[in-house]
Amino acid sequence: MRVSDKMNQNQMLNNIQKNRSELNELQNQAATMKKINKPSDDPVGAAQVLRMRTENKNLEQFDKNISYAKMFLENSESTLGQLSDAIVRAKELALQGASDTNSGLPRAMISEEISQIYNAVVEMSNRRVGDRYMFGGYQTLEAPFTQEGEYLGDSGQIQIQNQKGHYLPMNISGSHVFLGENLGYDSSVKLMTEVPKTVEELRDYVISEETKGIQEKLFRDTQQQGQVDVRGPASVDRAQRVGGIGEGGAAVDPNADPSATDSTLNVVSQSTGVNLFQTMTELETALRADDTKGIQSTLGSLDKALNQINLARADIGGRLNQMTATSDGIQKSIVENKSQNSLTEDADLFKVMTDLSKSDSALKATLETSSKIAHQSLLDFLR
Amino acid sequence: MSKIQGLMDVGKRGMAVSQSALQTASHNISNKSTEGYTRQRVETSASPPQNEGPLRIGTGTQISGINRINNPWIEKQLEREGSQFAFIESQSQALGRLESAVNEQSVKSLNSSIGDFFGSFRDLANSPESALPRSQVREAAGNLIRNFKDVRRQLDNVSTDLNKGIELSVKESNGIAKEIADLNTKIHDIEISSNGVANDERDRRDLLVKKLSEKLDISYAEDSKSGMLNITAGNTGMLVAGTTSGEIKTYTNEKNKIVIYNELSKGGTKFDITDQFRKGSIGGSLDMRESHVQNLMTSLDELAYGIATQVNEAHQEGYDRYDQEGVNFFDVPQDGQFSLENLKINDLIMEDVGHIAAAAKVGAPGDNTIANVIQELQFQPTMADGKYSFDDFYNTKVGEIGSLAARANSNLETQKNTLDQLKNVRESVSGVSLDEEAAKMIEYQKSYEASARMIKIADEMFDTVLNLKRL
Repeated sequence: MRVSDKMNQNQMLNNIQKNRSELNELQNQAATMKKINKPSDDPVGAAQVLRMRTENKNLEQFDKNISYAKMFLENSESTLGQLSDAIVRAKELALQGASDTNSGLPRAMISEEISQIYNAVVEMSNRRVGDRYMFGGYQTLEAPFTQEGEYLGDSGQIQIQNQKGHYLPMNISGSHVFLGENLGYDSSVKLMTEVPKTVEELRDYVISEETKGIQEKLFRDTQQQGQVDVRGPASVDRAQRVGGIGEGGAAVDPNADPSATDSTLNVVSQSTGVNLFQTMTELETALRADDTKGIQSTLGSLDKALNQINLARADIGGRLNQMTATSDGIQKSIVENKSQNSLTEDADLFKVMTDLSKSDSALKATLETSSKIAHQSLLDFLR
Repeated sequence: MSKIQGLMDVGKRGMAVSQSALQTASHNISNKSTEGYTRQRVETSASPPQNEGPLRIGTGTQISGINRINNPWIEKQLEREGSQFAFIESQSQALGRLESAVNEQSVKSLNSSIGDFFGSFRDLANSPESALPRSQVREAAGNLIRNFKDVRRQLDNVSTDLNKGIELSVKESNGIAKEIADLNTKIHDIEISSNGVANDERDRRDLLVKKLSEKLDISYAEDSKSGMLNITAGNTGMLVAGTTSGEIKTYTNEKNKIVIYNELSKGGTKFDITDQFRKGSIGGSLDMRESHVQNLMTSLDELAYGIATQVNEAHQEGYDRYDQEGVNFFDVPQDGQFSLENLKINDLIMEDVGHIAAAAKVGAPGDNTIANVIQELQFQPTMADGKYSFDDFYNTKVGEIGSLAARANSNLETQKNTLDQLKNVRESVSGVSLDEEAAKMIEYQKSYEASARMIKIADEMFDTVLNLKRL
């Protein structure tokens, strides 16, 4: 083959260029420690890396959500623990006061302590985490309970996302724990399981919430007026069944204090819970009035209240466990994602370094041979 | 009988031929690096012999021509492959820029700001009462819009540069066409008058044709009688016709795109011939502009519109901190004339983050239902008729651009190899070799010396004849 000078030159230049661009690429990899520096380096990998990054960011956010919710729940739990202690103490006092042969403190003094316990319960019901009232449902900015035990909050459950598409409420509404409203059969808190995820679901949710709100209002009105509403066959049926199970002596005691109508009403209003404030007030009133029967009648309510609080605590504990488990899972996923991402986008340093030295010596060899060839010509030998 | 005079003539002719050959060798050597130069060779032949009775006595040498050593087929292939190379190169460059507009391997851009935006709603869901997460939502939204606009601006720049490149290439093509027309005149004149071949002019013309072909689609043919080259751009754009050159022109249309047209006569009807260009750098740029750049822009708009409208829809269902019904979170034109330029956060929210609606209920400061629904939008398949989530949609686009760029790069590599190979073949045939020229130099120098010696001998022979008497 006839070799012209330009051919030689072009080839030389091409080779050097090729070596240099290879070296450049490798140096870039070594400097960034990544083998994907732009999408075209590995289109599938690049898209995957982006997806993983978003996923990791979300996982970290979920973990943040969980730790915040856990703090909230732990605070609620410890408050409920104290509340439980207070009710236990109230029950002790009630037991003391209930016996006519009480040799201990006079009922007036017991009632004094009960009144203080009542104040403590009110204080507990208005506790806050940061700026937020724990037991006000969605009403987190105003104290949910008045001194009289009137509830100003709602039954809102603040849903916190702990996994993609999964939510857990981080609060427990005061109306559940303190008023015993809207509880399930077994006095446990009914958790909202369906959380709206799309705008359509949101609209349905808003409508159902509104209906629920109206029902709740109706219930409170009924409670306040002391009237029994006939609300349709389903609830009548339910009420009868609840009554049938046997709702403790208090609910059907014909001699009960007229002010203690809440239990009866509760039967009608589908609720099996106890209003702590009312029970405490009844106890105090009964103690002051020396009403032995009245005191005795509150004992059952206090037992039920304890049960109610403990169930709520158990519920919180369950949620806490669930969150801890999820958080552990998240931590694991984050590490796995990161190592997966690293596999996809990180350069193998050893490989880069060996390649680098290989390319480097290739370039040197090219330059050396080029410099030798470039100077050779017939003209050199014609002198 | 031959004559001494004849001997002298042979020597003289030999010297002249050697000198011409030496000059050609030196012409070759000096043009070793000239682009498109083809080595020239002096073709010699024996000059017509004298008849001396039954004998025919040689009269030395003569130059029968100075020819280019080239292979027209290789030149033709080079022109084609060069055009293809320019096409791929312009695509690969544009794709490289598109790719860097969406490249997020080392810097944060759209993907991460979409994540941040929805993440800010998650923080808001954690404490919907406080102002801090609300202002974070506003910041994240602002950042999202900025990043959208930033990517869009980069795409616009790519588009503008493509258009500028097309405009410039068309201008250069017209210049080249003019030069080719001038060369046509020269070649015609030279070849008619001297009966020789206009080597250097033809070299230049071949080179210019290749350059033209690197820019746009051309078809050309040489008129075998006049030696003139006629060139058409695309199907109908007359560039060179004999000694005259035409022009194709450009204007910028209302969409800020360059349109290529030609006029039949000055000020006459304009014909849009943009669609006729599918090769060369102009073809590549047009293709990029119409397909991938345009697609990416549209996708970006779709994504921004999707996020804005979906977030708005959910946001409107809620209530803000003042128990007002949720406003539009993003300002989106109602008439469907959406453009990224006009995308902004609602003024009310810009002024007061209290207008961000997190609650689904009135008077429920702790309600985070709406914030939850909005952040859930990140995972909902709302794009492309419910096939992709926002993230998937965008990431898929990034992957698409990446694989297009990767393919264009590898095509470019292959095409470069093909082209280099062809160039090597061409240089092998037509390139100047210094060794060869040096050898020729010695050859012709020796033959020049020998011819001169011949004249000297003839001179001495004359002397001998003239001194015959004196002997």
